[in-house]
Amino acid sequence: MKLVDKYTLWFLSITLLILPLNSFITYRSIKNEIDKAAVERLKHVNTRVAEQLRKGERPGDYSQGCKIDVMPVSALPGEPFEITEKDVTHDPELKDNDRKITVTSYHNINGQYYKITSGDYVTRSEQILLGLRTSIMWKLIILIGLVVLTARLISRFVLAPFYGTMKKLQGFTLKSKKRIELPNTTTKEFRELNCFVKKMTDKAIDDYASLKEFSENASHELQTPLAIIRSKLELLSESDINDHQAKLIVDMQNSVEKLTRINRSLVLLSKLENKEFETQETVNLSRYAESTLRSFSDLVQLKALTLRSQIEENVEVKLHASLVDILLNNLISNAIRHNIPAGSIEVLLNRDVLIVKNTGRPPGCPPEEMFQRFKKGTHCNNSIGIGLSIVKQICDLNAFAIQYHYTSGLHIIVINFPSGKASSKLLQNDERYLHEKIQL
Amino acid sequence: MKVLLIEDNEELASSISDFLGREGYICEVSYNVRDAQDKLISFQYDCVLLDIMLPDGNGLDILSFMRMERIQSSILILSAKNSLDDKVAGLEEGADDYLTKPFHLPELHARLRAIYRRKMLNGSNIIAFNEISLNIDTLEARVNGHLLDMTRKEFDLLLYFLVNKNRVLSRQSIAAHLWGDYTDNLANFDFVYQHVKNIRKKISAASGTDYIGTVYGLGYKFNTSKQ
Repeated sequence: MKLVDKYTLWFLSITLLILPLNSFITYRSIKNEIDKAAVERLKHVNTRVAEQLRKGERPGDYSQGCKIDVMPVSALPGEPFEITEKDVTHDPELKDNDRKITVTSYHNINGQYYKITSGDYVTRSEQILLGLRTSIMWKLIILIGLVVLTARLISRFVLAPFYGTMKKLQGFTLKSKKRIELPNTTTKEFRELNCFVKKMTDKAIDDYASLKEFSENASHELQTPLAIIRSKLELLSESDINDHQAKLIVDMQNSVEKLTRINRSLVLLSKLENKEFETQETVNLSRYAESTLRSFSDLVQLKALTLRSQIEENVEVKLHASLVDILLNNLISNAIRHNIPAGSIEVLLNRDVLIVKNTGRPPGCPPEEMFQRFKKGTHCNNSIGIGLSIVKQICDLNAFAIQYHYTSGLHIIVINFPSGKASSKLLQNDERYLHEKIQL
Repeated sequence: MKVLLIEDNEELASSISDFLGREGYICEVSYNVRDAQDKLISFQYDCVLLDIMLPDGNGLDILSFMRMERIQSSILILSAKNSLDDKVAGLEEGADDYLTKPFHLPELHARLRAIYRRKMLNGSNIIAFNEISLNIDTLEARVNGHLLDMTRKEFDLLLYFLVNKNRVLSRQSIAAHLWGDYTDNLANFDFVYQHVKNIRKKISAASGTDYIGTVYGLGYKFNTSKQ
């Protein structure tokens, strides 16, 4: 639900709660005022009649439009005034309910006690209520209409800084290293939000920069000693050595090799995580796939595997060119390594999907753990167990959906490409949504 | 061939100059940018091996310096920073090739020879040793004039042997040369063994000498003294 709708609903429900209460108060005060005025008038009439009597004049049946009644009484009661109010139900002339207020007063005129009663019809409470109801109805209609209309219009202006900030955040990438500039706003909350967002993104940029620096330094600092060890071992292996020494050198070389590959893969992974390979360009995956299969054809033959491929021409995907090789090499080399003698590999590529199937022994761990780093599926000690993790990272980064199954002796890896040209459909949807919001 | 090695790490520099020295190269070493610039202006080199990260500057600066001074040497970048930006920037600035540390010395040598061959305008595209000759343009391998039926990988491997004659080539080095750095596959050296076996078989079949021998468990060696 939109913020403006929420505000409108709350405002309207409070209004709905207050209106009946308010109208009850209004009704009471109007009724009281009318009654008070009527009573004052009738009291005045009674006084006038009493004065007339005192002067010895005989008052008529009506005075100032009110019916009066004069009766001599024997004694004065305690109260000089007596006010009654009643609904006259059957007035033959009006044929309608009516409310009548009568004021009875007692006077001592020239030693004779009189009871003077005057009465008048006043506005009935139903009539007041009816009037109130109509006015409340109109009030409500106008209120709702105006609130709904203006809230939308005004929120466009009031919330503009908020949407502006959201749009800025949407376009924010650490990779660009560009600090975001947020517009000034007079709204306190948005000012605080912008301040917070600015602080957070600036810190993220700084942290990212130092992390990147660290990973670059780490790779540099490790690669040089590795290069030294490797070169010294190569020189050593050419010197005059015996069989035993050669074995020692071989073991060292194997370990250095492994270390080198782990280091390279970790650096690559951290680069992937830092999103250093974002691209807007597409590559012809078909051509890459064919050349990868060609370059591995030797290995396929050496292992006596059967390779079947079904590659649709000119499949374009949005992917960084240097990642294509890494992705395909890892997939195909995995399919070769984790294969069985005289096994088979099947590669299928079309516009929607890339599938690599290969025969192999059942995996030693649950399929969902297959993509974790240093998880070795089968019984291959020479692997460092990072290839699939890199594949997964590349897929995640480019919004490809990757799945792994093992069924009836086949390892199956399925990579679904996002439909259309967009590589990140999710982000695009968000953007459209945001755009609509800003357009309101 | 005269080579200038610009590398700040003395141990690595000594390994490289030692290796290249045994190949009969004249190898001079600079440990920093200033010294390298002095040497580049004063002497002429066929090839420059250039590290990117140097104590007093960036190797890429030397590239632009060389372009400004119109120094025509071939350039091979040796970098520990395996970052794509550097690679692209380096190649755009006029470097001929790019090698990421840690590399194998025979690989460095092979790349160096390849650059040098390309740079020499009248350079021969035939690499020959006794009865074996390789045409690097047409990728044809001949033994005693007989054309061998070789795969691309086998050709590459034989070329690697011929460039690094009398050197121990470890299986790691051969694997990295044939399949590149990024495949997490090559610990299985059976493939290397198979390729070497095939080459030896094919050369012998064309009645060539079997120059390639194993060196303990270390790897293989193209032995020129074999008869």
